[in-house]
Amino acid sequence: MIVHSIFFYTFSVIAIVSAIMVIVSKNTVHSVFFLILDFISISCLFIMIGAEFLGMIMLIVYVGAVAILFLFVVMMLNVAQQKNQWFSTTKSSSHIPVGLIISLIIFFELIIVIGGWKYKPDLIISLSSLDISKEITNTHAIGNILYTDYIHLFQLSGMILLVAMIGAIILTFRQRKGLKRQSYFKQISRERKDGVQLVDVESNKGVKIDV
Amino acid sequence: MINLNLIFPEIFISLSIMFLLIVGVFKKNSLNFIYNLTIISLLITLALTLNYPIDTHLTLFNESYKIDYLSTFMKILTLISGIFVMLTSSKYIQITKIIKIEYPVLLLSSILGMMVMISSNDLIVFYMGLELQSLALYVLASFNKENLLSSEAGLKFFVLSALSSGLLLYGCSLIYGFSNSTNFILIAENLNSNSYGLTFGIVFILVGLAFKISAVPFHMWAPDVYQGSPTSVTIFFAILPKIAALTVFIRFLYVPFINLIDQWQMIIVFLSIASMLFGAIAAIGQRNLKRLIAYSSIGHMGYALAGLAAGSNNGIQSAVSYISIYLVMNLAFFSCLLMIRRNDNYFENIEDLSGLSKNHPILSISLLIVLFSLAGIPPLAGFFAKFYIFMAVIERSMYFLAVIGLLSTVIAAYYYLRIIKIIYFDPEKEKYDSNHHLGLKLSLIISTIFILFYFIYPSGLTEIISKINII
Repeated sequence: MIVHSIFFYTFSVIAIVSAIMVIVSKNTVHSVFFLILDFISISCLFIMIGAEFLGMIMLIVYVGAVAILFLFVVMMLNVAQQKNQWFSTTKSSSHIPVGLIISLIIFFELIIVIGGWKYKPDLIISLSSLDISKEITNTHAIGNILYTDYIHLFQLSGMILLVAMIGAIILTFRQRKGLKRQSYFKQISRERKDGVQLVDVESNKGVKIDV
Repeated sequence: MINLNLIFPEIFISLSIMFLLIVGVFKKNSLNFIYNLTIISLLITLALTLNYPIDTHLTLFNESYKIDYLSTFMKILTLISGIFVMLTSSKYIQITKIIKIEYPVLLLSSILGMMVMISSNDLIVFYMGLELQSLALYVLASFNKENLLSSEAGLKFFVLSALSSGLLLYGCSLIYGFSNSTNFILIAENLNSNSYGLTFGIVFILVGLAFKISAVPFHMWAPDVYQGSPTSVTIFFAILPKIAALTVFIRFLYVPFINLIDQWQMIIVFLSIASMLFGAIAAIGQRNLKRLIAYSSIGHMGYALAGLAAGSNNGIQSAVSYISIYLVMNLAFFSCLLMIRRNDNYFENIEDLSGLSKNHPILSISLLIVLFSLAGIPPLAGFFAKFYIFMAVIERSMYFLAVIGLLSTVIAAYYYLRIIKIIYFDPEKEKYDSNHHLGLKLSLIISTIFILFYFIYPSGLTEIISKINII
């Protein structure tokens, strides 16, 4: 049990610290890296409470796709150069009260939601009547439903993604003229006689090569 | 055990989508080959759909996927019109150079989405089918990306359609919240007609659906998209999505919410009246034929909705026969439009038709027949379509709706007849090309013959449709 709490507190501290670092770090690229660290530690927390499917999805989707996308955007827009000067300038400090108010509102909303959830008596009864088996894992349970009851929807969403992919390629792909492409076959099939010409040079005459 | 045999058509279409993509990638210069292969795969899908007796009544996947008479009929309608649309536009996409291997593949995936929509008996299945269908259509609308109008059409359609999908999803979640299920049958069982949440949900879903069939006041996208998209895509837009959306309308209104008919009937009546009047009046000032047909299709959808508003089996049947005849008329009209071509340029303004009868008598005669039929002049098929609708509406003593429908028919007759006047009595222009693709001629001949000789044997269609019993 004590090992469990050690792990829990380690990951929680990492998550909170990296969340703070996302906001305060001066370099935007560093912010994105802290964001990735935050995602990873939260997914570790998910795995610790037994929601391993959610944790892995979090890793794949947020770390594997979303955060990398952020990184690309940050690098392409080259905003890393413009240093984050939140706390140093007086100009932007007028935004801080507004931000504080909004975050306070969100905080109280969270309290209300969690309080209602905790103290609503029939919810707990209905949750306990859900009959969740502890024998099978999350992934098994989701897979059981997804691949039997909803298999047609699963396959259909695959088709939708395929169409989306085809559409994106059609609408953005342009064949530019005069583009020099590398052709492996051409390169490999090139032989010595195509490129090398042996010339017998007479002395005192020089040589003239037609290019 | 799920009987997968029943969804062989859908499985076959999805497999052929992937197969055609791979063929297109690895085989050089295979554009025509793939196009023809797509038509063949649609034919095979049609055969697979007809393979099972049309009156099977089964549900699959926990009752979320329904195969019954209505769905089979609508699927056959979708597939046949898909084949004809591809036949008519095969030359057009070559001449305008918009053909790519993805074009027929996207058409196929859109048809797959429609088939899923038609068979859906569950909100999630319905939504997935809708998204698959419209996602392919967004890309098709902006397929001619060199053309500014086409890009505009795609973007406009995408943005507005995404908005309507959002409303529709909101409606779905409300219905799920208040009835505890997404399945149409279970919703009907858990229905508590006193809850306002359900009514709101119905309204939101109706808004989303009305957008898809471009009923007024959710029609704004239609004229621009019809005009901007390549004509081959406009034919597709004008015909196929309407079939699927109408089927969903029928299923959604008459399976779970038949007991709430007082609440949704007024909405449908309003949509119907507004579409009929607006379609008739707004088309008068149009000069572009594709824009004109967009407004005309808004009006025609109004009539189909009038059939739905009746709330009886007769009403549903009349709406289904209306849409069947409507798609034949539209096919004939667009076939004529695709024949107005000179030196690889297509013309789509009304003035370009001026004096057409002197140089192209046969084309003018068929345009005449089509336009008379669209206006609803008696012996032609279009008259019968409207006749069934008015019969069903009057049967339920909704005289107001019938009167408005008749009035807007009269108004709409003006702009159809004006085109005929321009064709027959205005000074003639330069001759158009007369070497047309066989598929284009074939679809024009078949559809015109259907329109012209429908009155000889009308029970051929009505008998098939009369077996549709939803209520």
